[in-house]
Amino acid sequence: MEEVLEPLKHTYPGREKQLNELFYLFGMSNKPYPLNVFICGGPSTGKSSVTTAFLNAFNIKYAFVNLIECYSSKILFESILNQLTNHKIDPKLGTPYAKCENLMEFCNQVKSIVDTFELNQSVIVVDKAEELRNMEFNLLPAFLKLRKLTEISISVIFLSDIVFEKYYFKLNIVEPLKICFPQYNKDELLEILTEDFKFAQVSLFDHYNKTLNFTVEFFQGYLNVFLSFFYRACRDLRELRQMSRKNFIFYCEPIYKGQLTLNDSMALWKNISPILTSSAEVLYLRITSATSSKNSIGKTTQKLELPFYGKYLLIAAYLASYNSSKDDRRLFMKFHGKKRKTNKEVQQKSKVSEQLNTQIGPKAFALDRLLAIFYSILDDKVGFNNHLLVQVSSLVELQLLSLVSDDSNLDGRKYKCTTNFETIQMVSKMVGFNIRKYLSDFSHF
Amino acid sequence: MSKDNTVSVSRGVFVFKNKGNRSRKSRSNISKMLSQNLWYQEYDNWWSVLNETFEDLNRNAFASLKSELFDFLKHSHQTRRTEIPTATLLTGINMPDHEAQFSTLKSEIEDNITPHVACLNSQDCGNLKFLMDNMILQFLNSMEQDNLGEEDEQTTITFKKSNLSLALLQSWYQDLYCINDNKEMPLLVIIIPDFESFNIKVLQNFILILAHYLEHLPFVLVFGIATTISTFYTSFPYHVTAKIEIQIFECESSILNLNKMLESFFLSAYCPFQLGGNVFDLFTEIFLYYDFSVKNFMQNIKFAMMEHFCYGNAMALCQIEKKEAKYILECFSHDDCENVRHLMSFRKMVESESYENRIKLLTDDVYFKDVVFEKVTNLQKYIKRLHIFLKCVHVMVEDLPGFPLGKNLREIYVMAVTKTLTDSSEYKEAFKLLEFQSKEELQTKLEKIVKIMEQFINTSSKKTVLKEFWNGISQFIQLLNDTECNDPEELVENTDRTVEPQILCNLTDRKSLKEVSLSKNDALLFRSKQKSISLNKYEKLRKEILEFLTNNFKLYLLQPTSLPLHEIFFFVDLSIKDKIIGTHRTAIHNALNDPHYYLQCNCCQISTSQSVRPTMPDICIAYKLHLEWGKMINLYDWLLAFLCVVDPKEDDTLDEKSKKVVVPELQARFTQAIAELEYLGFVKSSKRKTDHVTRLTWGG
Repeated sequence: MEEVLEPLKHTYPGREKQLNELFYLFGMSNKPYPLNVFICGGPSTGKSSVTTAFLNAFNIKYAFVNLIECYSSKILFESILNQLTNHKIDPKLGTPYAKCENLMEFCNQVKSIVDTFELNQSVIVVDKAEELRNMEFNLLPAFLKLRKLTEISISVIFLSDIVFEKYYFKLNIVEPLKICFPQYNKDELLEILTEDFKFAQVSLFDHYNKTLNFTVEFFQGYLNVFLSFFYRACRDLRELRQMSRKNFIFYCEPIYKGQLTLNDSMALWKNISPILTSSAEVLYLRITSATSSKNSIGKTTQKLELPFYGKYLLIAAYLASYNSSKDDRRLFMKFHGKKRKTNKEVQQKSKVSEQLNTQIGPKAFALDRLLAIFYSILDDKVGFNNHLLVQVSSLVELQLLSLVSDDSNLDGRKYKCTTNFETIQMVSKMVGFNIRKYLSDFSHF
Repeated sequence: MSKDNTVSVSRGVFVFKNKGNRSRKSRSNISKMLSQNLWYQEYDNWWSVLNETFEDLNRNAFASLKSELFDFLKHSHQTRRTEIPTATLLTGINMPDHEAQFSTLKSEIEDNITPHVACLNSQDCGNLKFLMDNMILQFLNSMEQDNLGEEDEQTTITFKKSNLSLALLQSWYQDLYCINDNKEMPLLVIIIPDFESFNIKVLQNFILILAHYLEHLPFVLVFGIATTISTFYTSFPYHVTAKIEIQIFECESSILNLNKMLESFFLSAYCPFQLGGNVFDLFTEIFLYYDFSVKNFMQNIKFAMMEHFCYGNAMALCQIEKKEAKYILECFSHDDCENVRHLMSFRKMVESESYENRIKLLTDDVYFKDVVFEKVTNLQKYIKRLHIFLKCVHVMVEDLPGFPLGKNLREIYVMAVTKTLTDSSEYKEAFKLLEFQSKEELQTKLEKIVKIMEQFINTSSKKTVLKEFWNGISQFIQLLNDTECNDPEELVENTDRTVEPQILCNLTDRKSLKEVSLSKNDALLFRSKQKSISLNKYEKLRKEILEFLTNNFKLYLLQPTSLPLHEIFFFVDLSIKDKIIGTHRTAIHNALNDPHYYLQCNCCQISTSQSVRPTMPDICIAYKLHLEWGKMINLYDWLLAFLCVVDPKEDDTLDEKSKKVVVPELQARFTQAIAELEYLGFVKSSKRKTDHVTRLTWGG
């Protein structure tokens, strides 16, 4: 069986140890499989692909379910049964192999089909197992003891992003065997990204309509440059792969233009480094076109189109959320009288930044207060009309305000302003309003 | 709806749903009744024209980015994807307009890219199950429609809700397309028009699920985001954004959209119905200050049109073509003529006529019709020219520093229809600024004007006035070109003035103008000489050009109210403001203060707003009385005052009345009225003073 394992190790560099562990557990068909195995590791560390590739290679019958998809446990059970019985859903009817609403029915079904489908020594792979915590309470213990419940030698492999200790459970349950998939290190990443060699050739051809004969070494040279930029910021394989694919095209651009040759690695590096720096800024943003993305991101985040009164309502909401109502009189009334400074207030004013209202989250305010502030900050007189009221609810719909009181309570509705200081500063700049003057945090400066 | 149907222990309001048939019938009756009237026909006609243009425009709001978007969709699954390709459309916050826009987008994608499009609205997708069911059903049915057409609807298979799952979708898709593998796999496009209204958690899980199936099913997401792209990142954590790849498509801003709409049909010469400056201002204000919604803007215009046309048959003359107006006039009865005679500007017109003509105008319908026809054709010409010349003004001033006449055509329009544009200080300021324009700028502007004019001239060659203007401008361009040739000469100060007359001799058709400009130029030159700054050749020419333009504008950009019968084309009644911007507080105050306004009964009519009548509803009496008190109201005093109004049997004084026993029935009525006022939020029981209530509203 070792000879099956070797190519696997080759296709999954950096996962040799984990493959070995899996091999000890599931490799020998004459030995009984473990009850259940818990595989944990961060995102894109190869959990699902290694597991399924292993099971495929060793011809082990398995069912693979992703728990996110199973918004009801019915889907979970039925899809496991469908896969174990190789049931193909007829697109005209859409019926599953068997109806299965709850755990009990599931166990019975599995028992009844064990002989016809040879379920002994089969495996159920449960991906995104952390979802089990939000699903029905009996699912996790049941999957941990599935063999006992069904009296069939069936094993369960859990794949999870978080460690098993976080699955707080009241019942004492059997702890499963654990295999850890650690994050790849730089060398492993390099090796995995080198697998992209074929894809890089194709995409270059697609982009420039001309083939470029380059060696794996050349590609690795690029990846080395690439990783030296990105490895500090990001270790996520998916993200890195996407970025490397995107930038490789730019990397080869001078070669296509005939300015440089494949061997001018130093010049190529000089050419690509500003591009890499700029694309590091849009890392994680997942914007496709690399050239225009930086500008457009900068522009679009700043461009919030709102009607004039909508802007003022938003500003008023921000002021209501981040000022305490005690200060309203002082901030918004013209002749509020003199206030004597007490010792306590002087102390309060020398607040540390954590105590600033703008640093603490927004506070709820009533509609009356919002309107009062709105009218006091607005210079021109405007009647109180229905269009204004509609504006408030459309701001809620746009998620710039959020409704904090109960939805059914029509009388004393309370809102919170969910925009941040930068946005509100920008909005107030557009209408020529000095927001700092009206925030109690800044007003004493 | 007899009373027996609604016997109930509690008193309540019962809803009786109108039966569909009846309401439809009544509506058709109304339109039939109205369609007898000329004005209604015309209204209907023009409104449908406007509405069609508007809907076309609205539907094509995405037209500018459509080709880009389609390109993106076409290429999205050419290579194997590990992330879901996602197009995010930044649509702007005018939500009411989006519905139509997205439904067109959907049908266009269906026609051009793939038959499988699902459009998910937030209302239908409260949780993940609903969302999935909705999407899967739409996909499954998309195929049914495609294959079967409308032949037999019976064959569409109804799936059990409980059976809907992505596994089913997958097997359906494979069944459809995997048999012929060489063929390109059609995409599964999912449109989510209102990103913000969705439950974020649901969307997150949705994307994770889709990503899981991406290997087998080529999904593409299209999001419509109303605010900014940053909402996208704030609502999705990394493990979700890692599953998608975004391309941003920016729509035009809604202000641009409005301008486009206005310029395409409202500020053009094709529509006879014109909004007066104040009404136009009101509508644009609502748009810019309140909602940004083009749809609402159109509804406002519709209302204004209805108000305008329902004045009477006189408004049927609101036509842009001569023939039509003539035809309508022929149909006019005596009553219709009277209707026209009631127009305010007609009165002014009559007063300016001679005595015999006055009598003729008022009595002789035939003569009257001739005059009206002449005036109407004048107006038609005026409107056409107004729009053309406004465009020219717009071209001249749109990029001036400080925008003295505004940036947009609509602003200039408003100014032109409320006052005489050429006399306004803004216009003068703008033209003063124009005097500093460089040659290149001026030339491009003139060329633009020529282009605008050409659109109108080529179609009909007989419009001599326009043609003359056009000729003049083209000649000026020629002259500008010539001066460009003499560039070096021009740079020298104090170039000879002798050159000018030669150039000006070319302008044979505007002799008088030339003289005026020459004399002015000379005067200016004289002055400038004193300041030791002399005009060079170009500067002189520029002066002349501007003079020419202003003279023409003066001729054609008159104030519409100065023209007789302008009411037929221009709607200036600002009283519709109350109906368009609803103010609920005033409405409530009106209802309580003057119930006759709404009830239209004979018993409650009052001469002044202060007077009270016993026949009014109790709550109105109580409300009117409470207006007279200060902050705190003594309930007993209030009751006595109430009794005085409701039950003024004997003319006894208040003191005597207070000694009497209050009739329990009246007291109960009073209590109820107070309770109602409290419910409406006018008074509040007070803890500070016993037997007192606090008044909560002031003014009004």
